[in-house]
Amino acid sequence: MTDDSMQSGPFGALLPVVRGLIVGVIGFLLGGGATVGAATLLGRSAWPAEAAISIGYLFGLTGWLLGVGVWDAWARGWFGLPLRREEVHGWPRYFRFTTDHKVIGVQYLVTFVALFLLAGLFAMLMRVELAAPGRTIMTAARYTHVMSMHGIIMIAVAVAAIIGGLGNYAVPLLIGADDMAFPRLNALSYWLVPPVAVLLVSTFFAGGFDTGWTAYPPLSEVNATGQVLFNLAVITFGLSSILGGVNFLVTIGRLRAPGMTWGRLPVFVWSVFAASLISLTATQFLAAGLVMILLDRIAGMAFFSALRGGAPLLYQHVFWFYSHPAVYIMILPGFGIALEVLTHFSRKPLYAYRWVVGGFLGIVALSFVVWAHHLYTSGMAEYLHGPFMATTELISIPTGLIFLAALGTLWMGKLWLRTPMLFALGFLFNFLIGGVTGIFNADVPTDLHLQDTYFVVGHFHYTIMGGMIFALFAGIYYWFPKITGRLYDEGLGRLHFWWMFITYNTTFIPMFWLGMFGMNRRIADYPPALGPVNLFISVSAFLLGASFLVFVFNMVHSWRRGPQAAANPWRARTLEWQVPSPPPEGNFPSPPQVTGHPYDYGVPGAVHAVVAVAGAAGPGAPVEG
Amino acid sequence: MRRHLAAALLWAALTAAGLWAARVDLLPLAAAREAAIIDEAFRLLLRLSVPVFAFVLAVLIYSLVRFRVRGEPREEGPPLFGRGIVPWVWLGVTSALAVYVIFNPGLRGLAELRANPTADLVVQVEGSRWQWKISYPQYDMTVREVVLPVGRRVRFDVTATDVLHSFWIPAFRVKIDAVPGMTTRVFVTPTVAGSYEDSYHLRLQCAELCGLGHNLMASPVRVVDAGGFEAWVARGKSR
Ligand code: HEM
Ligand SMILES: [Cu+2]
Ligand SMILES: [Cu+2]
Repeated sequence: MTDDSMQSGPFGALLPVVRGLIVGVIGFLLGGGATVGAATLLGRSAWPAEAAISIGYLFGLTGWLLGVGVWDAWARGWFGLPLRREEVHGWPRYFRFTTDHKVIGVQYLVTFVALFLLAGLFAMLMRVELAAPGRTIMTAARYTHVMSMHGIIMIAVAVAAIIGGLGNYAVPLLIGADDMAFPRLNALSYWLVPPVAVLLVSTFFAGGFDTGWTAYPPLSEVNATGQVLFNLAVITFGLSSILGGVNFLVTIGRLRAPGMTWGRLPVFVWSVFAASLISLTATQFLAAGLVMILLDRIAGMAFFSALRGGAPLLYQHVFWFYSHPAVYIMILPGFGIALEVLTHFSRKPLYAYRWVVGGFLGIVALSFVVWAHHLYTSGMAEYLHGPFMATTELISIPTGLIFLAALGTLWMGKLWLRTPMLFALGFLFNFLIGGVTGIFNADVPTDLHLQDTYFVVGHFHYTIMGGMIFALFAGIYYWFPKITGRLYDEGLGRLHFWWMFITYNTTFIPMFWLGMFGMNRRIADYPPALGPVNLFISVSAFLLGASFLVFVFNMVHSWRRGPQAAANPWRARTLEWQVPSPPPEGNFPSPPQVTGHPYDYGVPGAVHAVVAVAGAAGPGAPVEG
Repeated sequence: MRRHLAAALLWAALTAAGLWAARVDLLPLAAAREAAIIDEAFRLLLRLSVPVFAFVLAVLIYSLVRFRVRGEPREEGPPLFGRGIVPWVWLGVTSALAVYVIFNPGLRGLAELRANPTADLVVQVEGSRWQWKISYPQYDMTVREVVLPVGRRVRFDVTATDVLHSFWIPAFRVKIDAVPGMTTRVFVTPTVAGSYEDSYHLRLQCAELCGLGHNLMASPVRVVDAGGFEAWVARGKSR
């Protein structure tokens, strides 16, 4: 955090955000007011609160975006006006509509780590309530709302933290590009996120929402107005995710440096590419489903309301048609980071590279034909069970290839157990448990019992938290020296890993048993016989929560006072390590010339790329750390 | 070769230990024919996953012990690219496992569960926030608990009046959503007499989030012998 030039002081730095807020509020009042006015003119007697909120929000969102920077940096051009660009340096950049992919990457990363910690706090509240049978600190209604908030925020973290944060930061560097293909669209994807957070927090003032992150109707059509805010938030977030997807696909497709063929693409880039294919093509289904719920609520339609001739089951199909592929949006980049880190820290080529790429693409294809495994107990047509069970079990084949690559890379390597590597290994272990327990959920007979129990809660925390979040930490530690130009504290990093790894497993392993033993999910209270195990889980969870304090301390402290990092402290071969830490704006003074594979460790004379940068270390140059 | 042998021995040891540990019975009271089928599927999957789990674990542990370098590695590992036969073998084995699991326990268990779509007794279950209404159309009775004769095949016709609920009796291991505007069905043959007082797994629990009273939405389940059931019906009629 250098503050070399801050022309305008802390207030000036926040000016765009303040302006966005003001214009946003004005937009909201205009849109909402117009709706109320129109309803009055049409002689509607009922107060159209939810319609006014929804339409007001559309205007408010537009106003926010224009105010925060779209007008100055973009929209003025549509009217023939000159664009306004200001040179901002130091930390105020992070509060601007900035187009540098590295700034946007950090914006995403910091925002979503903060959201992760917030949602983690909600998890702690839940575990306090669940520590003992009976009511502990909150009503069932409050519990359900907190649980739903925890769920949806964590889902957002899982979808965006790696792609939006590390993807934005590292992908252009890894492929030798100077920025993303659509830098302003990239900024727009990020600035769509704050309204999502504002809406979700506002649900506390609108009666909450009690439908979990899944928003199943008919409940989501008859509950408090908080549901409307939830739907608007998730639709906005979906838009951000779609725009991000387009941007990555075009960037990876079009901006690769000369010689960076598809066969030489670093594996993390491949994983982001695969995940972006899904975000671009699946997210619309979720948005459509949520819009239909809004229309049922505010316009008297009946897509999902059985009492008025709609079909509640329809929503579940549409929802999971997005949300199953979405779990691969979360995990594919996790695979990418884990393999990337395993390779560099085993000092061996990535084993079976082509099979990994095939595995990624196989997962993408299969992910679209498995959604109904979430519907085994929903009452859908009987003959669908077999086919969806088959497709779901088949997805373990491409996933198995990821494990082949990981194990093959470790085998006979020179393992360097630094913090990123520890997290990558932790990822393998946890995701293995997540994957194996997934088989029990995929199998119709066992799932009839396990569906909607804590077994499922254990399973998805093992994949998302044990997998994706561990990979996120691997990536954060791995790229920390590049992003900040400083080294994190290795001792604290290892402490964080072991503390988190152990308490994570003691928290979530017992949940499998709870589920089998009759504890259904999304409940504030449970049969008293299950009390001791729940207490154990809660204590573990508090210890787990405390482990993140080590992480936060390490990051903040090292960013401010850590020792200077060399360009390539890991002696890694990929392109981002061949430029200074942190990389200059524009990344490479001239496009690098890629001549070989990124992972040719142990191959005499192999060169990945020729990079013309003064003062940067090439592979094999002396290193520190 | 020595390395492979050592890792294979570790795999064998871990598998043996895992299979031994997997004999511990983790499942709750099983009180229906369906529960037996489902538990068998569960145990089979557990046994199959032990060697898979152990394989990955063995390679991980072995690598961590044998290939770890203290401090920063100065050398690089041998360039193994995985372009030979190994990935093909891996693909073959994992595909075979996946396909096997689809058939057994998957499709086989499913077929057993759905085998006999006839019933001696029909029970109608209607969920509404936040309680279950249980009716016996054959006896023209509506009650607040589920009482079933042991050994008779029962069909539950499940529906809801307001939002989604889900019919789940842990001791029977079966679950089906209660959907407004639809009737869903599930068959159960209770095999063990018992009641909620003996085991909390004999309860009809709502398993689909339905709002405020969701966790409280449960009704007791009692399985009685044929005579007991007739007596219960007679008592209900006379009331
Ligand atoms: C600090 C560690 C965490 C603890 C102690 C924790 C605990 C819980 C608990 C008790 C539930 C309620 C389960 C239910 O009743 O269905 C839950 C739900 C959930 N959690 Fe976590 N969690 C943690 C971290 C995470 C992370 C890192 C993610 C994802 C990135 C995540 C994603 C979810 C989701 C998606 C739900 C489902 C919400 C719903 O049912 O709508 N959690 N968590
Ligand atoms: Cu799924
Ligand atoms: Cu319920």
